[in-house]
Amino acid sequence: MTEASTGSAAAMSAGGGVSGFDDAAFDALGADLAAWSGSLPEWAAARRVRTAWEQVEPRLDRARRELSRVLVVGVIGGTGTGKSTLVNALAGGVVTAAGDVARPTTTNPVVVAATDVDCSWLPLDRLQARVVRSDSPAVANIVLVDCPDPDTQSDHGPAADGTARPSDANHNRDLLEAVVPACDVLLLVATAQKYRSWIVARELAAFAPGRPLFFVQTHAARDPDIRADWHRELEGQGFDVPRIFRLDGVEAARRSAAGLEPEAGFRELVTAIDEELVGRAARRVRRTGAVDLADWFTREAVRELEPVRTPVADLAAGVGRERDRLEKLLATAVEGRLRASRSAWQRLITDELVDRWHGGPFAMFLHVVAGIASFWPRLRSAGGGLIGRLLAGQSPPAGGGGTWQTVEELGLGEADVEQSRSILAGLAARARLGEPLVGRARLDEAAVRTSVGTLLERTAAWLAAGIDAIVAGRRSRLESPVLRGVCEILFTGLLVAVLVRAGWNFFYGRLWSGRPVEGLAFLEEALVWVILFGLALRWLVFARLRMGLEGDIAALVARLPRAKLVDPLLADFSRAADLTGRFVARGDELASAAASMRAGLADGATGLGRLRGPSPS
Amino acid sequence: MQSTTYAGWAGDIGALCRALATLEPLAASLGAADPAATEWHGQLFGKLAGQVAREPVLVAAVCGGTNTGKSLIANSLVGVPMSRSVPEAARTVHPVASLPRGLAARIDLGGLFPGFTPVAWTSDADALDAAHADRLVWREDPTGRQPERLILLDTPDIDGTLRENWHRAELVRNAADVLIAVLTQQKYNDAAVRDFFRAAVQARKGIIVVFNMVDWPRQRERLAGWLATFKAETASAPLAVYACPHDFAKAEAGRIDFYAVPELSGTAAGAAPDAPADLAAALAGSDFDRLKREAMRGALEVVLDERAGAGSWLDGFEDRARGWQAARQVLADDARVRVELPTAPREVVWNEIWAWLEPRRSALDLTVSKAYRVAGSGVMWAARAIGLARSATHEREDFSAREFRVLSQALTDFIARLEDACRRDERLAGILAQRLVQADRSAWYADLERRHAALPIVSDDFRAFVRGELDRFAKESPEMVRWIVHGLNVGAVARPAITVGLGLAGAAVVPAAAATAGGLTTLVHQVGDVVVGTAATLMGEGALGLTMAGLKPLLERLFAGWSAERGRVLAETLHDVVLGDAVEELDRLATAAARPEVAEARRLLFELKREFSRS
Repeated sequence: MTEASTGSAAAMSAGGGVSGFDDAAFDALGADLAAWSGSLPEWAAARRVRTAWEQVEPRLDRARRELSRVLVVGVIGGTGTGKSTLVNALAGGVVTAAGDVARPTTTNPVVVAATDVDCSWLPLDRLQARVVRSDSPAVANIVLVDCPDPDTQSDHGPAADGTARPSDANHNRDLLEAVVPACDVLLLVATAQKYRSWIVARELAAFAPGRPLFFVQTHAARDPDIRADWHRELEGQGFDVPRIFRLDGVEAARRSAAGLEPEAGFRELVTAIDEELVGRAARRVRRTGAVDLADWFTREAVRELEPVRTPVADLAAGVGRERDRLEKLLATAVEGRLRASRSAWQRLITDELVDRWHGGPFAMFLHVVAGIASFWPRLRSAGGGLIGRLLAGQSPPAGGGGTWQTVEELGLGEADVEQSRSILAGLAARARLGEPLVGRARLDEAAVRTSVGTLLERTAAWLAAGIDAIVAGRRSRLESPVLRGVCEILFTGLLVAVLVRAGWNFFYGRLWSGRPVEGLAFLEEALVWVILFGLALRWLVFARLRMGLEGDIAALVARLPRAKLVDPLLADFSRAADLTGRFVARGDELASAAASMRAGLADGATGLGRLRGPSPS
Repeated sequence: MQSTTYAGWAGDIGALCRALATLEPLAASLGAADPAATEWHGQLFGKLAGQVAREPVLVAAVCGGTNTGKSLIANSLVGVPMSRSVPEAARTVHPVASLPRGLAARIDLGGLFPGFTPVAWTSDADALDAAHADRLVWREDPTGRQPERLILLDTPDIDGTLRENWHRAELVRNAADVLIAVLTQQKYNDAAVRDFFRAAVQARKGIIVVFNMVDWPRQRERLAGWLATFKAETASAPLAVYACPHDFAKAEAGRIDFYAVPELSGTAAGAAPDAPADLAAALAGSDFDRLKREAMRGALEVVLDERAGAGSWLDGFEDRARGWQAARQVLADDARVRVELPTAPREVVWNEIWAWLEPRRSALDLTVSKAYRVAGSGVMWAARAIGLARSATHEREDFSAREFRVLSQALTDFIARLEDACRRDERLAGILAQRLVQADRSAWYADLERRHAALPIVSDDFRAFVRGELDRFAKESPEMVRWIVHGLNVGAVARPAITVGLGLAGAAVVPAAAATAGGLTTLVHQVGDVVVGTAATLMGEGALGLTMAGLKPLLERLFAGWSAERGRVLAETLHDVVLGDAVEELDRLATAAARPEVAEARRLLFELKREFSRS
């Protein structure tokens, strides 16, 4: 940027900080707004915020960089309200055509600046503007722009019937819209006939954000004083209006040209310009304008996001609901399968236990029974699939993605998942969310492989850990040496009794008393009793193992939601709800930061108005 | 008054209004141009309809931008203060009409000024009362000087921030024959002012230009330039041009002077150049009949205009309707899902056939059959006991769960297809997006589940259908029945597939079972691909070749009927809950161009054009 004038340098050098303005905080806010507005380009609502930001950012940036430059004051208003006459009065001579010969009088912007002010930074060619130099003290430290009117250019373009009209060549409003972005401050001129003009109000609403304004009623010599009513009208349009100047431009220009003492209204305006737009005040105006603009932008952005606020919350709640539904299906199926596989559980719990139980007759008995049982065909196995494999002590199937068939035993069919996704797709559409942030109800093959594969892996790991924990808990019940000892003693007791009886028979009965030996019949009978007793003992031991298994399964399944197993199936919706929710919340935070920054600014200006609320629709 | 020149149009104008009024609500739904925003509509409904058959009175209205002194000028024309003139802009919010004595009793003001509620004048502040909408304040001329066929109006502004005022001014303009255009040096070339009067000129209303707040006589020489701009912009040829000097004191006192500017209006005769003229007298002395006739002809001309008239609007209407036809076709083509229902339990058809056959079989047959059944149930019991087979109840539960999953998936699929169709056709998006986006979709699935749970595996409707089909079959093929009776078979199973979609009326085949169910007008099931084949016969009963001509079609029909009934659950959810009245609305829009009112309106426009060129 080319810096401002030498003439204004003296005034600028006196420029300092603005009371209550924190440069670092403002820069941080700007950076935060830039980061926030561009943080979610995939979301339509956020894109609109971004588009608005792209309009605002260069202005904020310029306000920061061009802090010392003289202010550009755009004189705007309807045709015939005396803009050019006022500009001439301020310039102290005829610098722009004014009068009542034809409407509109001004068709190209006229830039009025002091001789020593460099205007090369203004895109004069693009604005089709003409520069005029003036030595008038009123424009010594500002650049004044006589803007074209907004009300003579037709809204509809050329006539529908094809007939040519003189106004077809009128592009005043287009030119106005090109020139106002270069202005820092607006000076709105109105008359009794035009202060309630709809088209002026529309243009003003578009330009006013971040631009302080002077309001001036002209034609004071002819028109009644309408300032009270205009004040009400402007307040209704969302403006803060501390003051409306009233003057007669024709009279002011006449006196100015003749070197006479200016009339009171005009003098007040010149004083206000000098006090509020020059030197330190210029910095204040620019900074206040920048904060106003940031504040306006955040409020507009929040307003823009308002319609999607509830839908975004609904989507988050919907994700939670559908996750619960799928988890319930999963839990029901898993619990059913685990409960139905009693023999598999028993084998799993007892096999290893038996392996590790050594050193006694009862242990030997258990091994023998296990050995025999291993020949028994597994008629009622837990079947294939994930749960079957885990309960059979095998590792879960290796990765390689998943298919719907692989998770069907877990209670999650394609239809169930698609139902959830379709419901969420509806909620997402309400929040203006679509691809690529969220996918479609039906997952494509690759997505099925990935998400179902992840689901399968997570479920396998969680189930394996859960089953291991249950099994370990069960086993620990039999790890006690006392229990083992009691079992061994009970079993060994019977064996000892049998042996003692056999010894008694032989040594006492046969050798001592001379009774005949009872033969093998006794031993056969004893063997049967030993087996029956062993089996009964085994049943008791295993019953102790089985007791409460269902409760353990229920407890395991109750912990299922914590494992977030079904999340991969709804991952896109869950992520989108999270991102959009955070975007909306961040917008609120930034709006409140901008509002408090605006509230913290000491409003030194007394004559400058500003757009307070959102622009009226 | 030569009222006959346009009184003859009355019948056709009335009929045209009725036909077009019927189409208007449709136009909004079709997305056609809003007729109320068009000039022809304003002239037809706002002028011709209300005036063509009424007592011919000349309506003259004072119109212009905010704070240009309209009320002051209107009061001056009437001769008494009827509408208060205040310094604040845009304060006149209701038009005020001054009527000649006795007219109020003879004429229906509401009909003459459509869109307004006529209210009798109580004070000059009535026009400023912003509490009420669209009033027309009227007062009979207390001076008795107002010509008996002249109505004079003061109107709200045409460029202020209250857009309602613009609308009211347009309604008055449409009804008017003559406009007194109040222009000022600030506003004579404002786009809003130009557009307003240009529309009046196109409808051949008389224009009297009054330049107000003129710095007189300094600005007199400026008037020619201002007027030339106004004439060039509006294509007008003003009846007269007046200038009112800016005089704040006089205006405060409610007075205003008019100066004729004969060099501009070409009416050189009249008052001395520097003496105030009497605009009211000039207006009273003008040729009412000619002005009225011109304005009525002008209004009809606007209605009949090739490029921007009612005919061109009808073209747009039909064009939009054709677009909706295409949209409906897109929906009919795309929004259909093929539903592969799980294999139907055999007994759904066979049990019904057994029941039908029972009385037709011999005792021996029955005994043998019973023996087989007893043996069969014994085998089944054993199979269930060792876990090789599941009980019938379990099987039905399994089937029901599987079937619901298939239907639910079909519903998801259907919704996705609707979304795709909406993406392809923005019209469909307009009509369906609201339902697809705003509705609670979980309620759709809940509805489907409820309907499915309430549907018995074999309904009475289906039983009746099977019996009817078998009776018909027995009559047509008695030999075949004997075969069935003697050679028993339970081996047929069906893997049914149905297509549920939106069919264009009359283009779809509705199976008997669905037809008897009733209630589905646009939604139909198209049953196809019911594959009936033999399965291994578990029970070992005698086999009957199903390829035998005649029997396969029967079974297919029976299974098809059953499948259609299952699919009806989905169709009903789609129709009642998902789509609601959207399908009927779509039909209504797609057939809009074929409405008799369109042809009738075209005929009437043709007739009116003929009458217009004859008159």
